[in-house]
Amino acid sequence: MMTESKEIKLIDEEGRRVDGRRPDELRPIRIEAGVLEKSDGSAYIEVGRTKIFAAVFGPREVHPKHLELPDRAVLNCRYHMASFSVDERKPLGMTRREIELSKVLREALETVVFLEEFPRTMIDVFVEVIQADGGTRTAGITAASLALADAGIPMSDLIAATAVGKVAGTLVLDINDIEDKYGEADMPVAMTPRRNSIVLLQLNGRMTSEELKKALEMASQGIKKIYQLQIEALKKRYSVVSLEE
Amino acid sequence: MYYFNEKEIVVPGQLLADDPKKSGPGTYVLGGKVYAAQAGLPKLRDGVVVVIPLKGPYKPEAGDWIVGVVTDVKPSSIEVDLGGYLTAVLKYPERQGPPQGLTVGDVIYARVKSSNIRGIFLESEEMKKLTNGIIISMTPARIPRLIGRKGSMIALLKKETGCNFWVGRNGLIVVSGKSSEGEFAAISAIRVVEKEAHSQGLTDRVAALLKSAKGRNHDDREQGDKAN
Repeated sequence: MMTESKEIKLIDEEGRRVDGRRPDELRPIRIEAGVLEKSDGSAYIEVGRTKIFAAVFGPREVHPKHLELPDRAVLNCRYHMASFSVDERKPLGMTRREIELSKVLREALETVVFLEEFPRTMIDVFVEVIQADGGTRTAGITAASLALADAGIPMSDLIAATAVGKVAGTLVLDINDIEDKYGEADMPVAMTPRRNSIVLLQLNGRMTSEELKKALEMASQGIKKIYQLQIEALKKRYSVVSLEE
Repeated sequence: MYYFNEKEIVVPGQLLADDPKKSGPGTYVLGGKVYAAQAGLPKLRDGVVVVIPLKGPYKPEAGDWIVGVVTDVKPSSIEVDLGGYLTAVLKYPERQGPPQGLTVGDVIYARVKSSNIRGIFLESEEMKKLTNGIIISMTPARIPRLIGRKGSMIALLKKETGCNFWVGRNGLIVVSGKSSEGEFAAISAIRVVEKEAHSQGLTDRVAALLKSAKGRNHDDREQGDKAN
């Protein structure tokens, strides 16, 4: 740990992080709903320097046809990073990591969408990372759930997500790329904010069980704040409609 | 006990009422409480809480009038595309042949007989084949606004443009009029309704728009009359 902190000081003497945040502080977040005209529902999220678009299409016909389910809709999710989104150009196409994250996102979204309302159809969710600076899966899922709500697809709750990490022995909320790379642990958490049920939980690195509990508590605090921004974005999207006099 | 304000937009997951019996369309029940399932405007209608979505896919219900395009003619049934992800079926007795000589590509106006896990079936008696007009589509969630209270909006459009309208709950509309100016005015009015569906004083604005559209076309029409 000492050798690492010599290279990059992740937490300074005053307890501030690389970007000047306190350990329990989120990055500045901007959320917008209904940003893409050609999609049925869409959302845009900026978490610090992470920038992501999410688009929802459907319910629509299932292609290929054999995937069709007689009793519910198929949720198809694609998490993709633009080749210019990272420092070193990412090759085109889906990497192993992107395929896995698509599955993780899909499974989280499936828990809230009422798929049984649209049998024999498919709902496509596209999450496109334009700029990546850590926390893309959590920001992606936040945007994707908002895009689904914007598309008018019935769902039990929105999903908000953030990550908690452990850097230089301290638990920190909403870690960025540097903290992720040089820190000891990274734990993305996605929850349905109203019912506090966890729909995604991953952990890279090590934490003690007390740390895990504290990390979950921190994540849940952060998620509540993100959720408020989601609601604001959704209401703003439609207040534009009702105010057009 | 209700937890909403009819003028404020609700979001999915928002608590609306305590009584599970009050759950209407656009809501769901969990643990004996009613929550919103869609983003939209909550309303108390016929004693149940409903959420009127501002956008969203069409969900067919028995009794809905729809506009569809015939996509396949089979020996005893016809498949009808309802504008996107839904396909309805219209059955007919085999020896009579397709009703009204329907073929692939024809547009029909029909009522939904039943809609369940087996599929969507259309009523064949009241079915009407639409032979001319312009077919346009809009968000199904805003069709009720286009029809208006007891059909007031559509009656206004009919009166002001002289066109005939077949409005499908699935979001497809057929406009057919004597003059292209009338049809043009009707379509632009429909676009206004779609864009500003949930705002106050919409009917007046649509009326004003139609008046101005007519004013613009007035000279053309007079010249046309003279030529005749």
